Amino acid sequence: MTQSRESDHPLTTRPFPTARPSGCPFDPPAPFAEARQECPVSPLRYPDGHIGHLITGLRSARAVLGDTRFSSLPPGKRSPVKVPGSELSTDVLPPGMFVNMDPPEHTRYRRLLSKHFTIRRVRELRPRIQEMTDRLLDEMEGKGGPVDLVEAFAKPLPTLVTSELLGLPEENRAQFGHHVDVLFSLSSSGEEMQESMTLLGGMLHALIAAARKDQGPDILGRLTVETDLTDEELLGITFVLLIAGLETTTNMLGLGTYALLRHPEQLAALRADWSLMDGAVEELLRYLSVVQIGPIRVAAEDFEFEGRPIRKGEVVTVSLPAANRDPLGFDDPDAFDIRRGATRHLAFGSGPHQCMGHHLARLELSIGYESLLRRFPGLELAVPAEEIGLREMMVTYGVLGLPVRW
Amino acid sequence: MQIEIDKDLCCGAGTCTLVAPDVFDQDDEDGTVILLDAAPGDEHRSAVEEAALRCPMAVITVG
Repeated sequence: MTQSRESDHPLTTRPFPTARPSGCPFDPPAPFAEARQECPVSPLRYPDGHIGHLITGLRSARAVLGDTRFSSLPPGKRSPVKVPGSELSTDVLPPGMFVNMDPPEHTRYRRLLSKHFTIRRVRELRPRIQEMTDRLLDEMEGKGGPVDLVEAFAKPLPTLVTSELLGLPEENRAQFGHHVDVLFSLSSSGEEMQESMTLLGGMLHALIAAARKDQGPDILGRLTVETDLTDEELLGITFVLLIAGLETTTNMLGLGTYALLRHPEQLAALRADWSLMDGAVEELLRYLSVVQIGPIRVAAEDFEFEGRPIRKGEVVTVSLPAANRDPLGFDDPDAFDIRRGATRHLAFGSGPHQCMGHHLARLELSIGYESLLRRFPGLELAVPAEEIGLREMMVTYGVLGLPVRW
Repeated sequence: MQIEIDKDLCCGAGTCTLVAPDVFDQDDEDGTVILLDAAPGDEHRSAVEEAALRCPMAVITVG
């Protein structure tokens, strides 16, 4: 079957592109725009040899993510790249891993967790997040430049916020971060991933046992008191929240600061009028779209989607960076413009799995960028721009480091 | 303007509450939508239409 499909689509010889165009670190890999121009739903060769699909258009991406005929069950060996889980056994889905579930199982978890991420709940966190941010900036200022902004700020801020929300003890935080890095690196071996999964699992088990005993005010503590979730379910949930809370926000803070420094006229406009901050956050989310691989879906049945036959079991990969640069969705999509009012982007996905922490992410980003820029009016790169390393080989895009001075 | 919502389908993202807080609220228990005003004045139209468009589950119908 694969053979005949292949001959139908001569475009399918390319694997999933991850390399960014040289000199344009903020632009999606070039083949995406080319694919979108041909068709927003294109054939794509997957590493296991099957011909699945690639979504590069904004409207099509929204449609796929909202359509439950595209299942969220893990693609296993059919994954477009090696991602957490793709190298691991997927015979049994761990309980609580709600990102890989479909309704109604998914809905049950989502309803139990959403109360901790409502706008009202998140707004209550503002003073605490501001306090954490100021403390990190004090340390950075005390140390004096140049410093790596990723290590001094972009990593620790989401780690502090997520850890406090979940109830993660301070002494474990660095290790958690390390294991998450291993799981999200496309260059980690299957053994390395398995080892990190095992170690992380052990740490989370201990954490859940402690939460049951302490019954604290953090999310884990509340879940042990207010729900009948089992330890295994809580482990899956904690794993998901940890990964979702750390990787994305860290990379948005690092890459976002880099993008602002590389667009001095936009940065000057922001510094002159802080009321542009919310719009700047939306535009950075759109323009950078750091989740560079997926969401990934698997067709649950045979059907036709936007004129293309989809067969059960075929994998569909949405490219959020491509969808968020769709000229049918945004005028002059490759321009970075904090005043464009870019609210209809898909940086947080769409459909039942849309990021549950989007209010929290927006708050962390706006407090993070504004506090950083206000504290250091002369913030600048401490090395030539060409020397900034990029996370091309990671599920979440970003800068490897960002040496800055002020 | 008449608004209808499908609360069963709502995923509790709270985007509507972010965009049109005078018309939508979020349930403290499960994050799902609460319709504060099913027939708001026209001054709310653009915010409500934006909320309907950005709703990840498309549960808001504006008539």
